[in-house]
Amino acid sequence: MSTTQWLLMLHIAAAFCFVGGSVAAGILNVLAIRAERPSDSATLLRLIQRVLPVIFVGVAGTLVFGIWLWHELHFSIGAAWIWIALALWAVSGWLGSVGGRHQERARKLAEQLAAAGDASTEELRALLRDPKGTAVSYLAGVATIAILVLMIWRPGS
Amino acid sequence: MMLLAYSRAFWPLFLHVLGAMTLFGAVLTALVTSLAGLRAATVRILIVALPAWAWTLGCAYWIEHDEGLGSSKATWLGIGHGVLEPGVVVLLAAVLCSWWWSRSGKPLAGRIVAGLSGVYLLLLTVAMLAMSGKWGS
Repeated sequence: MSTTQWLLMLHIAAAFCFVGGSVAAGILNVLAIRAERPSDSATLLRLIQRVLPVIFVGVAGTLVFGIWLWHELHFSIGAAWIWIALALWAVSGWLGSVGGRHQERARKLAEQLAAAGDASTEELRALLRDPKGTAVSYLAGVATIAILVLMIWRPGS
Repeated sequence: MMLLAYSRAFWPLFLHVLGAMTLFGAVLTALVTSLAGLRAATVRILIVALPAWAWTLGCAYWIEHDEGLGSSKATWLGIGHGVLEPGVVVLLAAVLCSWWWSRSGKPLAGRIVAGLSGVYLLLLTVAMLAMSGKWGS
């Protein structure tokens, strides 16, 4: 295998970790929102922490191997699609961390309620279904898919 | 966007990769929930993985048709087919075991589901590495 093949393989493997881990976090979040008991919501939100290392490996790997490939494949320093993808990568990471903080608040409240009789409250339901928190998570997903579009399309290259 | 809409090479590859990433994420979630002992969640997630599998396979055939790869003997393509087609038996076995687990509550069933999900995730990883690195080309 050539250096380019190795780099491409590692870059795509990192992208699978990034997107696959995000899909896993998204599924767990949806299941936590739909759970009836706070203890179930808390468990599902806690499980998101188990997939975070996969996402972090993906986030770091896509950047490192992506920049290395940029150099290896001699793409122009002014390649707009790469700069847009880098901007989207940063936006996706920022939105993901904002969404993660929101999920953490919901998890802590769900754990408190689980310890105090395991009955759901309006406050927990409102926190889990908060439109801002949901919108942030969906926007992070949209930014990630937009990166994938750019990486496959490579406009102008 | 017009260029993108008429770019035949873009859509099958984009949809194939998106489907494969969704499948990877769903199986990863099933592994995590089965290890945590969440029966109902695991069944639901594995059932979601089935359309993702069908989507990925359908788009793979679309690419093969467009790129004229139908008669190719490339190693990476063989590994991809080997994992995606016979590999579905592992996924179906995980779905059936998760259903058995949700009905019976037997810990053994849960361990089998976790094992099958882990094996399938490993197979998907090998296929993804082979196809992205174009092994044997």
